Amino acid sequence: MGKYLVKRLAASLLTAFLASMLVFLLVRLVPGDVVAQMMGQAGGETAANALREFFGLDQPIYMQYLAWLMKVLQGDLGVSWTRGMPVTTMIGQAFLVTLEIGLLTLLVATIIGVPLGILAGIYEGRPLDTAIQSFNILGLAAPVFWVGLMLLVAVSSLFSWSPPLRYVPPTRSLGDNLAILALPILSLGLLQVAAYSQFVRQNVVSALHQEYVRTAIAKGVPVRIIFFKHILRNVLIPIITFMGLILIQILGGVVIIESLFALPGLGRLLLTAIETRDYPVLQGALLIVVVAAMVVNLLVDLAYRLIDPRVRVS
Amino acid sequence: MLCALPALPAFAQSEGLYGPVAENAVRGGRLNMGLLVEPPGLDPFHQAADARIRITVLVYQGLFYESPSGEAVPLLAESYEVSDDNLVYTIKLRQGVKFHNGAEMTAEDVAYSYNYIRNPENGSPGAGDFSMISDIKAVDPTTVEITLSEPNASLPMTLGNKYGAVVPAGYFDDEAAKNLMNSESVGTGPFKLVEFVPNSHIVLDRNEDYWEEGAPYLDGIDFAILPNSASMLVALRNQRVDLVALTRPQDVQQVQQVEGLEIERWPSLGQASVDLGSETKPLDDVRVRQAISLAVDKEEVMKASIGDFGQVLGTIPAGLQERWGLPLDQVPMQGPDIEAAKKLLEEAGLGNGFTLTLTTINGYDWMDPAAVTLREQLAKIGVTVDIQRVDLGVWINNFRSSQMGFTFNDWASQPDPNLLFYRHFHKKPEGADFRNWNNDEASALLDEGRATSNPEERREIYNKFQTILAETVPTIMLFSPDHITVRSQRVQNYVQHPTGWYYGLARAYLSD
Repeated sequence: MGKYLVKRLAASLLTAFLASMLVFLLVRLVPGDVVAQMMGQAGGETAANALREFFGLDQPIYMQYLAWLMKVLQGDLGVSWTRGMPVTTMIGQAFLVTLEIGLLTLLVATIIGVPLGILAGIYEGRPLDTAIQSFNILGLAAPVFWVGLMLLVAVSSLFSWSPPLRYVPPTRSLGDNLAILALPILSLGLLQVAAYSQFVRQNVVSALHQEYVRTAIAKGVPVRIIFFKHILRNVLIPIITFMGLILIQILGGVVIIESLFALPGLGRLLLTAIETRDYPVLQGALLIVVVAAMVVNLLVDLAYRLIDPRVRVS
Repeated sequence: MLCALPALPAFAQSEGLYGPVAENAVRGGRLNMGLLVEPPGLDPFHQAADARIRITVLVYQGLFYESPSGEAVPLLAESYEVSDDNLVYTIKLRQGVKFHNGAEMTAEDVAYSYNYIRNPENGSPGAGDFSMISDIKAVDPTTVEITLSEPNASLPMTLGNKYGAVVPAGYFDDEAAKNLMNSESVGTGPFKLVEFVPNSHIVLDRNEDYWEEGAPYLDGIDFAILPNSASMLVALRNQRVDLVALTRPQDVQQVQQVEGLEIERWPSLGQASVDLGSETKPLDDVRVRQAISLAVDKEEVMKASIGDFGQVLGTIPAGLQERWGLPLDQVPMQGPDIEAAKKLLEEAGLGNGFTLTLTTINGYDWMDPAAVTLREQLAKIGVTVDIQRVDLGVWINNFRSSQMGFTFNDWASQPDPNLLFYRHFHKKPEGADFRNWNNDEASALLDEGRATSNPEERREIYNKFQTILAETVPTIMLFSPDHITVRSQRVQNYVQHPTGWYYGLARAYLSD
């Protein structure tokens, strides 16, 4: 196990290194740089060159990369070129917002989606199942942006209310925080509820058709026991696996929702950094995303090995 | 002998700096303003974006204020005198002005700030505007002397609020200062920056030490950054936002019927135009450019792009037309005149037509409908238009390297013909001549206009320049989109400045 861990860590480090290089090059492939953006239609070449020198953009790319890498290795992601704030602070703040949205959406999706899926599975082929499935199809087909906008407009015209515009962290005021996040979470959640319940339904249906369940029914085991002991237990494992996938999907949709509801999360941070060609922020944020994905993968792999003896390495 | 100029032009009684002085202004309260575009930074020295200027005019100040009617009104200056050869400006400074950090403003600070910005090594996009200055020195604590290398009538306007500002002497000695202006407030303006949280909000508080008695009226302004206009409209309806400047006509229509919201239109200095870069064949042939100009129906393009929310232009933006514009009925080469256009193309040997690529920029909503309309109009003279949409970064790169081709443009300037025309249209190296126009006669007129201070003579010169501009078509100015503001009824006395900058917030107040 120890040997495996060392191997995996070494591989991860190599991947992180390659990813950092790729990220560094990719952001520079987007035409135009921060200086062109700052100058706009004004400014002469002397001034532009002076600024390029200030940002180190006059150096060859490999020198820029080495300078950046050295700092990253010391835990310093640099300072934003357009905001003047340390990149780590900016990413930290934005990441917490996005994480909160992601986790709360996951919670909502699980609380609503799992029972819906179980109900649909148990009542397979009956009107309730049809109704739930229709809802699922709608939820899966509706774009997040559209759902968000419709919710916003509907709530506004029904209750003459719209969410406050300035994000408040839950540590300052949980009530205000939830007032701001309720609609974004619902908008993101609809799709996930649908995906979740569809997935759970399939698992329940296939469990119901298993021979051991049929045997239990034939033996006259009470329905409640069949459900909790035989069906739910078997369905729970894939549900937990599915959670990871859902979380990744939520993080994808969050970019759009953050723009729609003016939330200062990671998606919007990336978007503005691309628009202003703020390389330090862009590189830092992308690197964090890559490393986070690798850490999660590593943990999943390790957990898998701990739980399932069949994939344990000698 | 020095000729003294009056300190203040003859204003209407109630007209003050930044907007009309309110008679019964209520003091206090915080105004919520919505921003559709986030400023990419708040540094008046190193950031050219308009979204930055709109906000920083409230925090930082130059020596003069660009009045809506196009005069440079003393701001941190109190009065000034010009030497007979028009080369030396002796500027008397306003006394008792304090920086937001509490220090008193002196002539040293003024000289330092303008010497910093005019040195191109310091990387300011505004440096070029100040290149006619050969020396700035503090004569005594309240007097600054500015010497020019050649006469330039727009010096006072250049010392306005677009680029640079007066900051404490030595501010940029610390290299990190280039990054600090998003979190620090070191200006002299009516409001102080309290907080700028990217992707979220900007908070300004009243400057309690502001030099003008009684101003501003508000305790503070909270800007909410909301990059999506649908969300902005919902926020307006629910009083989350008191005031917002909108740009898309469809957005304006959506709030037109909402009770409690006032929609107002204001003339602008902006222009939507088509540029014709002579580096691109066959646009190097003046007859081809003329034919295109004659084929364009500006009214139709404007209607398609922004409906009725703007004004069709001749050769100058709407906000400058009255004072500096060539009368609209005297502008040559105005369409639509399809027959004349076709004839010109035949003379140019392109009677069978040709294909042109028209560039539009992502994120500029008006350009898409305008492009389709222009394609239809040019089809009538046999020109096939391919529409190419590019990212702003790409477009700016092309523009700066004078490779703009055939493209839409969207730009604005201060209310002064020299600042509007010189850099864009003067031959290289004095100007940037982005469109490779390379016109000697026009360049000579631009030099002459810049050196002339008599307003009538200046107007004559710029009229001649505009005639050449219209005749030889390096650009076709289409329309000025109005500034459109939507405010809740509790917002009083807000006037939108023609630049689009939010000066008016210093005079706005909240009723109740």
